[in-house]
Amino acid sequence: MSNILTIAFKEFKSFIKNPTFYIMMTLLTLILSALFTMQLQRFFQMGAMAMMQPGAAGQANIHYAVFLNHLQILNLILIFIVPAITMRLFSEEKKLRTFDLLLTCPLKSYEIVIGKYIGALLALFVIFLIAFLYPLGTALFAKLNWAPLLIAFLGIYLIAAVYAAMNLFCSSLSESILISYVTSAILNIAVWFVSQAVEFADTQWARNFLEHISLSFHISGLIEGTIRTNSLIYFFSAIGLFLFLNERVVESHRWR
Amino acid sequence: MIEVKQLCKDYGNIRAIDNVTFSIQKGDVVGFLGPNGAGKSTTMKIITGFMAPSSGSASVAGFDVFENPIEVKKRIGYLPETPPVYSDMFVRDYLRYVASLKQVDKAKINSFVDRAIEKTNLNQVSHRLIHHLSKGFKQRVGIAQAIVSDPEVLILDEPTVGLDPKQVAEIRDLIKELRGQHTIILSTHILPEVQATCERVVIINKGKIVAQDTIQNLSTLERGQGKVFIRLRKEIQDLAGLLKEVQGVIGVDNGANKKEWKVDYKGDEEVIGRVSEKIVSSGLGLIELSPSKVDLEDVFLKLTYGSDNKIESSEKSAQVSSHVTV
Repeated sequence: MSNILTIAFKEFKSFIKNPTFYIMMTLLTLILSALFTMQLQRFFQMGAMAMMQPGAAGQANIHYAVFLNHLQILNLILIFIVPAITMRLFSEEKKLRTFDLLLTCPLKSYEIVIGKYIGALLALFVIFLIAFLYPLGTALFAKLNWAPLLIAFLGIYLIAAVYAAMNLFCSSLSESILISYVTSAILNIAVWFVSQAVEFADTQWARNFLEHISLSFHISGLIEGTIRTNSLIYFFSAIGLFLFLNERVVESHRWR
Repeated sequence: MIEVKQLCKDYGNIRAIDNVTFSIQKGDVVGFLGPNGAGKSTTMKIITGFMAPSSGSASVAGFDVFENPIEVKKRIGYLPETPPVYSDMFVRDYLRYVASLKQVDKAKINSFVDRAIEKTNLNQVSHRLIHHLSKGFKQRVGIAQAIVSDPEVLILDEPTVGLDPKQVAEIRDLIKELRGQHTIILSTHILPEVQATCERVVIINKGKIVAQDTIQNLSTLERGQGKVFIRLRKEIQDLAGLLKEVQGVIGVDNGANKKEWKVDYKGDEEVIGRVSEKIVSSGLGLIELSPSKVDLEDVFLKLTYGSDNKIESSEKSAQVSSHVTV
């Protein structure tokens, strides 16, 4: 356990000491700030219109109108930022031969993988802290319903965790940072397109199957503020699967 | 301390090491010698548990490398060919990180890191980013990394490659200093390094062990043989032809130009007398004649490049001796 934490903190420290991380966070803040204020403004306009038309007021909900859009933008950004965070974790180590150090230290393969994974999750947590500042700021002048908001954030964080597991696996496959970034980003986009295939499935069985493996199906509940155990099981098993594959790749270095 | 038995490793169709067997006692300093691509690094990687062999077994301190890799890795400090340093870390932080990965007691980490910094003379750079260090310092950080956990076995893969002569000397001194506290395996293709630091040598060529003995025994492997260096005033195309009749001469090699020659002989000093007599009487003008013993270099070249190809071996010899003069 201490080995896992040693690696996790080392990775997290090298993220937050790296200027690239700050550039990424600054750009993220710029995009989120611009888009969040637009959403908020639109919501107030809608509110003002609803005042003039009594009866429509019930439909305007800040959770749906502003925060869900905010999280969707965050999700879109994550598709491209998570690979940037995970790409160096294995690819760079292999390229710079520092991976030799880890393989000759008294560490088990799963300790290396989980350590690095936790390091990436900590870095992602910084992104979520930044994203959470926006609803927090809104709370200064509006009364919010915190529970569904937090669950929606948790949902997106779980998605980010799934991305991180997939992308860490991609990173372990290649010595090239570029290849690991591109395969990761494509994989992240691909999991969203699984839901598109649902419409074209012939049988009910196939439809159910595709629905269950599609991210968007499972996130829809969380994002509205309901926690379903089947979604949680889906997220954790996806994370578990990719971490397991990753562990196998690391282990294979020892007998290749 | 280290037992290697019938180790083989195949990379696809290529057999990198073939039936390698040797054992190393506690406290020995062993030089692992061989030309590039002989299988030195592969053998070392297997001993460190970095890589599995195709067949055979290796054990360190009684623990099998494959059945008990964690125990083995706790006892080994390894410096790979490229020092495994993170360029975005400070020297001290990096060493602390390695120490905790090697499962050094939390309370002892600081003193172990201090000791490693002390021994490798890194004091002046310990608060600098590794990225900003010169190659020599990076190499030293690599060595510090290997010794930071005070391992019983130290495996150094070409520790002086790419360093300037002063740094090479420093690293050799460091290795000498570590002698006695650790069992050290050192791989290199530079002979003086082995002569300067090691007690025993394992010579490996094309994946096979061709000799393993103490330096003393290897140097006197070919007893009764000698070599003289001859410098002439006049050029001669074929000294071998001239010295053909002299009894005891077994080989003549050309040196840097047609005025410099190396003559191998078997027998006592009378042979040298006969050689000089022959040269003087043929009016070539003998300027210099200096006898030299058969040293490790000759043994090495004979064993690795083969004695049948004299010309090639003398070229290599010239290359290797240029290392000495550096």
